[in-house]
Order: sequence, then C-alpha cells, then structure tokens
Amino acid sequence: MSENRWLATGNFFTSYKAEQRIFLTNVDKLVFACFLLLLFVWPLVFTVSNKNMLVIDSILIAIVAVYGLNLLTGFTGLISIGHAAFVGVGAYTLASFAQILGSDHVLLTHCWPLMILLAGGVGASFGAVVGLPALRLKHLYLVIATLSFQMIFQWAINFSKFFDQGQTIAIGRVFWFTGKVVRKQHYFFWYYVILATVVVLGFAVRNLLRSKHGRCLVAVRDNDRAADAMGMHPGFTKVYAFALSGFFAGVAGALHAYLWRGVGFESFMLHHSISYLAMAIVGGLGTLVGSFLGPAAILMLELQMENFAEFVGHFFTAVGDVATAFRPLSFGLVIVLFLMFEPRGIANWWRIARSYFKLWPFRY
Amino acid sequence: MSYFFQLVVSGVVVGSIYALSALGFVLIYKSSRVLNIAHGQIIAAGAFITYALTVWAGIHIAVSFILSMVITFFLAMSVERIFLRRLIGEPIISVIMVTIGLMSIIDGIVYLTPFGAGNFSFPEFLPRTPISFWGVSMSWTQMVGVVITFTMIGAFTWFFKASTVGISMRAVSDDQFASMSIGISVPKVFGLAWATAGLSAAAAGGIIGNITGLNFEVLHSFGIIVFPVVIVGGLDSIFGAIVAGIIMGLIQQFAAGYLDGNWGLFGTADVLPYIILLIILLFKPHGLFGIHEIERV
Repeated sequence: MSENRWLATGNFFTSYKAEQRIFLTNVDKLVFACFLLLLFVWPLVFTVSNKNMLVIDSILIAIVAVYGLNLLTGFTGLISIGHAAFVGVGAYTLASFAQILGSDHVLLTHCWPLMILLAGGVGASFGAVVGLPALRLKHLYLVIATLSFQMIFQWAINFSKFFDQGQTIAIGRVFWFTGKVVRKQHYFFWYYVILATVVVLGFAVRNLLRSKHGRCLVAVRDNDRAADAMGMHPGFTKVYAFALSGFFAGVAGALHAYLWRGVGFESFMLHHSISYLAMAIVGGLGTLVGSFLGPAAILMLELQMENFAEFVGHFFTAVGDVATAFRPLSFGLVIVLFLMFEPRGIANWWRIARSYFKLWPFRY
Repeated sequence: MSYFFQLVVSGVVVGSIYALSALGFVLIYKSSRVLNIAHGQIIAAGAFITYALTVWAGIHIAVSFILSMVITFFLAMSVERIFLRRLIGEPIISVIMVTIGLMSIIDGIVYLTPFGAGNFSFPEFLPRTPISFWGVSMSWTQMVGVVITFTMIGAFTWFFKASTVGISMRAVSDDQFASMSIGISVPKVFGLAWATAGLSAAAAGGIIGNITGLNFEVLHSFGIIVFPVVIVGGLDSIFGAIVAGIIMGLIQQFAAGYLDGNWGLFGTADVLPYIILLIILLFKPHGLFGIHEIERV
C-alpha cells in the first residue's frame, strides 16, 4: 500500500527513515513553506514602525539564544543560569574588535557574517571551558558552575579598563551590496538577517537532533549510565552540549550587538539569564517549537508588564518601584506556574491543537 | 602585622555569617536534595522583617530578632507547602527551576516594598566604641553577631546530633524509603527542613543587617556567595559549611586587603570565591568534607 503523503491520521511508519522525516506530511511542508514566505514578505507589504520592528528583532534574537539554552537544558538536562553571560561573550567578542580596531573597521562593517560566526565560535569555546566540570559531575554542580561563570563574567566586564567598565561600546553600521545600511533601513535590514539566521539554525538544530550527535544528548539526559553502557561518553557529551549552547548564545550576542549598534554591560546580567530560562520553560523544554513560542510569549509578557506597571504606577506612587518589581514577579510566577501545571510548556498546547486538526472530524 | 590580624578578625566575622547563611542551604540539600537557589532571598526577607519589626513597629531588637526568626520559619514552611510539596517525585531539575522562579518572585515582592531600593540601617543599641586588643579592633555589633552565630551553629549541631526531629531529618537524607518504612513522614521532614533553613536564614539576615546595613543588592550577594561556600565545604556537610564559610571570609578579606589596588586589580573579593569554586569543581568536586557517593546502576 502506497502511503498518502498529503493526509495522515496516525503514525504508520514502516521504516526508521520515515519516522525521521522533518515534515510528516506534504501538508505540513506546504503550510511551513507558506508561513516562511509570509515571514519574509510581510514587512514589504505593511509599513512597520521602527519601534515594533525592534521588538520583533529582539524576539528573533532571543529565539537564537533559546535554541542554545533548549539544547542544553531541554535536550541534555543541564540547567544553566549563566546563559546571558554566554550571550555577552558573543557580544563582547565584537566589542573587543571595536576597541582594538575602531568601531568602523572593515572587519566589523563589511565582514559581519564572518564576525557573527566568530562570535559563535568564541561563545562555544567559553561554553566548553565552563562545561569542563561535567566530565566528573552531575547536573546539580553544573548549575552552580554556570552561576559562577555569570558572576565572573559580570566582574570581568565591570572592572576592566579595556571594556570601559561596562559602558556602551559602539559598533559601526554595516555594509550590504547596496552600500551602507542607513538608519532608516537598519531594523528592516537586520530583521531579514536575523530571520535567515533563525531559519538556518532552526534547520540545523532539527537535523542535529535527527543525527547520532543529537540523539546522544537526549540519551544522556534520560539516563547517563545507560548511555555510557551504549558506548557514549556522558562527560564529553555534556561538554559538547555546553559548547553547542555557547555557540548559539555567541551568535545571538553578535546579532544583539549589531542590532543595538553597541555593547553594554547591562544587557547580560543574572536576571537576563533567568528570563532566558523562563523562555525555555514556558515554550516547552526539549521541543523545537518551544524555542519559538517561549521567547515570543515572554517578551510580549514583558511589554505588557511595562504598560501595566505604568498604569498601576499612577495609583501607587508611594510604594516602591512598581516597574522594576513587576518584571521579576511576573517572570518568577510564570516559571513556577508553568512548572507546576504545564511542565511541557506552550509547545504542548501546540501539540494538542495540531493533533486535533490532524484527526478532525474524528475525536481520537 | 596588626593589619594582617585586623584582616583575620574581620575575615572570621564575615566568614561566620557565611557559615550561618550556608547552614540553611545545606539543611535543605541534605534532607531533600534540592538546591535552593532562592536562599539569598530568604535571608533578605528575614533581614527586612527584623528591620520592619524593630524600626516601624518599635519592638526591642532582641525580641524582634527572635520574632522574625519565627515568622520566617513559618514563611519558609509555607513556601515548601505551596510550591515544593506538589513536586515531590518530579525530576530534580524541575524542582531546582522552581526555586529559580521563587527567587524571582521574592525579588519582585521585595521591590514592591520600600526595601527594594535604598539603604537602611538598624538603630545603634550597643556601645559605639570598638573593642581593641593588640592593635586589632572589632565593633560590638560584630562581636555580638559572632557570638550569636556560633551559638546558633552549636544549637543546630546539637539539634542534628541529639534531637528526635534532627535524627529523623538525617534518616530521610540517608534513605527516603527506609525512613518511610520506620514511620517517618518524609513530606513533614521536608517542610521542617525548609522551616529550619528559613529560621537560620532570618538569623543570618538580622546579623548581616546589623553589621553592614540593609541593602537588597548586598543581601543578594550574600545569598550567591553561599554557593562557593557550600561547594568548598562539600554540599552535604554542615561542618564543611562552617569551615568553608570562615575560609571564604578570610580569602575575601585578604583579597580586598592585599590584591585590590595592586597590579590594576579591583573588586577581587567579589570574584575570587567564584574562581575558586570553578577550580574546586574541576579538581575536588565533593569539597573538603562532602560525601563521595557511590553510584550503583
């Protein structure tokens, strides 16, 4: 019986190869292609203000960073509360080039794709170094290792003359084939660059998880001793997961530096690490869809919270700073409530909705 | 030479407070294997409750100190009851992430109160003239703080060695199933572990507040410095926490006294504990006194 690749109401795989497909049916493929096309086309059709474009760009950058955190926390089962520091490593790679060569050096403005990759590489090597204790230790200790890396990073930036004690270090405007990307096109241009990065890296993650190297991460998460018996080295696998997550974080950091045209210390603090973790948890740990839904949900929540705090601030002027209070409060609540009531995150809702439409008009 | 002794004295003072802060953390880890990331926030809460009772309610500081320990005892117990009780049996990774969330929540609540920003200091209730001997001086507040700290640590040690509740806590930390089978209520022990941790945290907070003044950022850093302390001492050793606390206090004071300002280094006291932590994790991960568990498949 030849299978119908347009409609499927269940899993009827007859080979492992079929199960490993990225898109289950051709409908999936079609819908995804249309969605992608839409993402690339809509800014041309509608006019978007710079402010909104900045929000969207930030979400996309957070998606890149959360890819890395999800690989580490979701797929390998290692909690990291230093992810913002790894993002910072990527950004400060660019900043150190800007400090040595000047912010408008050819390397920074013309070879920016190379610089983004380089930042990813530097992030990966830092990740591997911080992950080294994983050769001997279990995840509990690694939480503390990442936390201490966050503290060391903050100190290193704050107290070094080279990085201006954490003052913003400017990064010049980049060049495209059409010439310098001017202020009017800036957010527009970076939307496409970041979107392309998100798509490419998304496929990279998906393909990684289909391969031997990705599946060993999941094996180590589920039972590291069993993975050891199967011939994987749990320690090296964990170090490698740290390096991978560092790579994604580094790329996100470089994009952040280019988008904001500068690198400042205050974007890579401990509470940013916690918001990355919140994004990963809310989106759904150990799912690729979660890496998209989480950052969008959390950054939207953050925006709404700012508005709400402004609104509430009119009534409670005497009490402490409402705006700074609501951010950690809402993030903490979101993390705790999701872990208690929906540990599989928004991705689970997505899964339920999908299976409903897949089986429709049948109930199950 | 008196400069050296001065550093030693202040190192021991700071270190004993670290030990008291780390005590609660080790307690929770020992009984339930949960890394309580929010411990620093509980310390801060204890300190602010003490301040509010002393200054705003006008209660004598000795009474409010004990009262805040009682309040934090019940606060920590209810935190365990509301958030962590449901997660018994869930993978440990999600429990740790819940404590990260708790840290954020308590941060938010503190920012809502006036304590979120600004500095507060307790009214002086002890003689202002410092105690001096052999050229080394120590303020009365520090003296009293150290005395209280060591009394508390002694009391906790007795509690674990001799009292029935303490022994049942140790039993649970050793083997949950075995202790269940002899009639120990494991959830109750978890609750008690959190509650005693809250109590010791409030004591630590009160003492820190009296010595350094109240500032949320400072209390935060006291909460995070707990991690290097417990790792150096060994995660599940109370004695290790005490020794490592004092070692950490000495290291910080020496770093601040001898390294800062030389060779272009500044703020080394803030970073050295974490560098030591990473090195210890690489070479002696179970710390000075931690138990190296034998894993069986």
